[in-house]
Amino acid sequence: MRRFMVAASVAVVLGGGLAACGSSGGGSGSGSGTPSASAVSCTKSGIQHLLHTPGKLTVATDNPVYTPWFVSNKPQNGKGYESAVAYAIGAKLGFAKSDVVWVHEPFTSSYAPGPKPFDFDINEVSVTPARAQAVTFSNSYYPVQQAIVAIKGTPIVTKHSPAQLKTYQYGDQIGTTGLTFITTHIVPSKQPKVFDTLAQASAALEAHRIDALVTDTPTAQYMASAQLKHAVLVAQFPTTGEHYGLVFAKGNQLVTCVNKAIASLQADGTLTSLQKRYLGIYLHFPTIKP
Amino acid sequence: MDANTPVSPGQPAGFMATGRGPRLFSGGGTRATVVSTVSTIVVLGILLAIFLLAPGARAVEHAFFNPTDMWRSFVGNPAKGYYSVGAAIWLNIRMFLVGEVLILAFALLIALIRQSANPALFPIRLLSTIYVDFFRGVPLILVIFALGLGIPALNLPFVSSQPDVVYGVAALVLSYSAYVSEVYRAGLNSVHQSQVSAARSLGLPQGTALRYVVLPQAVRNIIPPLLNDFISLQKDTALVGTLGVIEANKAADIYSETVFNFSSFTVAAILFLILTIPLARFTDRLIERDRRRRLAGGTT
Repeated sequence: MRRFMVAASVAVVLGGGLAACGSSGGGSGSGSGTPSASAVSCTKSGIQHLLHTPGKLTVATDNPVYTPWFVSNKPQNGKGYESAVAYAIGAKLGFAKSDVVWVHEPFTSSYAPGPKPFDFDINEVSVTPARAQAVTFSNSYYPVQQAIVAIKGTPIVTKHSPAQLKTYQYGDQIGTTGLTFITTHIVPSKQPKVFDTLAQASAALEAHRIDALVTDTPTAQYMASAQLKHAVLVAQFPTTGEHYGLVFAKGNQLVTCVNKAIASLQADGTLTSLQKRYLGIYLHFPTIKP
Repeated sequence: MDANTPVSPGQPAGFMATGRGPRLFSGGGTRATVVSTVSTIVVLGILLAIFLLAPGARAVEHAFFNPTDMWRSFVGNPAKGYYSVGAAIWLNIRMFLVGEVLILAFALLIALIRQSANPALFPIRLLSTIYVDFFRGVPLILVIFALGLGIPALNLPFVSSQPDVVYGVAALVLSYSAYVSEVYRAGLNSVHQSQVSAARSLGLPQGTALRYVVLPQAVRNIIPPLLNDFISLQKDTALVGTLGVIEANKAADIYSETVFNFSSFTVAAILFLILTIPLARFTDRLIERDRRRRLAGGTT
């Protein structure tokens, strides 16, 4: 019994010590991320040791993915805004199109702790300070505005003053900033319904179980024009400064090079022209106050 | 545990051999207490060491067991985009309580129909058999979707305009009644035919014999499996969240996806444990009481 107690206390001390080592190791990794990052050379050979698979840029997204962010649920075809941005970033870092590898990663596991099976995840993830404690985000590759989707001929299509907006039954996909926008900016009197997928939220909209859902303007317009028969984009809300960022494992130094790539894509007009090409037709809608 | 393991004489017998059944904390002498205490400490120590020694221990601790996140998700804050897990569990409790009563009644009806020998009831008997086969075979989540999205889409007056929780509970009742009716049937079959014969020979009509002789014995035999199903039902109320209802698991999920931390699920798990563990211990006590009564040779 006593011998066991000693063994146990040794184990606990060892465990605590090693755990402390682990944490301080991790801490120094992320802590020194910024200063040592300048030492990282952003050439293809310079970033090899940071990659999930050497020689390949492994990019993750959800399955299925939707227009206009991707086309035909095929991230590999280079079509759709996010697919094009991923390949453009890859090109800036020196990766040929064939060296960009796509993997499927459900949204929830993209931010789970532990090693990630990808270099970065591109999946319309909005950057928030709370989320940035769990993962590392790149700089913005798209500024987001939220918009209302409703069924044609329902009251919200014509009656959407800030006071009227509070009276409707909203629904949305879980984890979206559309849902957060509903609870924090619209502040409706009825608790919104929260679905696991956008498809379920759309089904609820079509079945008149909810009056409206809120999502980013390009997605909203695609839903209203192509996915849902009787839906309409009612209006969009003014920007809240929200933007989409790529998701990296916490402390991954590759983000420095990717941020440089995004900055140069911004500077040479690539991002703007890709936005025009894939999102342009979606972006002309009246803006209303929540 | 293996039936082939030889039990050498002189060794203390395991609980299989003593037939002590499910009593957790009952004694067995000082030596047994010491052995069980030491083995508990060893097992817990090893598990704790593995948890603390793992290279990602700190990350896991932060992601799943962060006290700040656990508290925030427990109290909720709609202004920040998430709802209270603690308040949401109340919805699970209400769904469970209503569902349980309905299941007990509906499943008994199904079981009695399936057990009846009356030839005139053949069509209903056939329907009940199909019902049980169907709802035991179809995944519960599919039934929830079918009712929760399908019935409102039918656009019927009244039926189509109920709150989502109603469709969710209806789906739980449909699915669980199929299981529970089989439990009832096992109970009815466990009452020996001579009991019915004896009751009828005393002049009791069939219904009265069923009500006062067969059912009391049948139900007593199946209380443990019934409670087992209800423990399972308590957790499955979380599936109703797929209809957009914010119950405990959904509230935890919203918190998790809003701030990228899983501690809210730990809160939900603790709340579900608080609900189910008392019922599990109560089941153990019922089994034990029943066993003692039978071994004592008493009648009722």
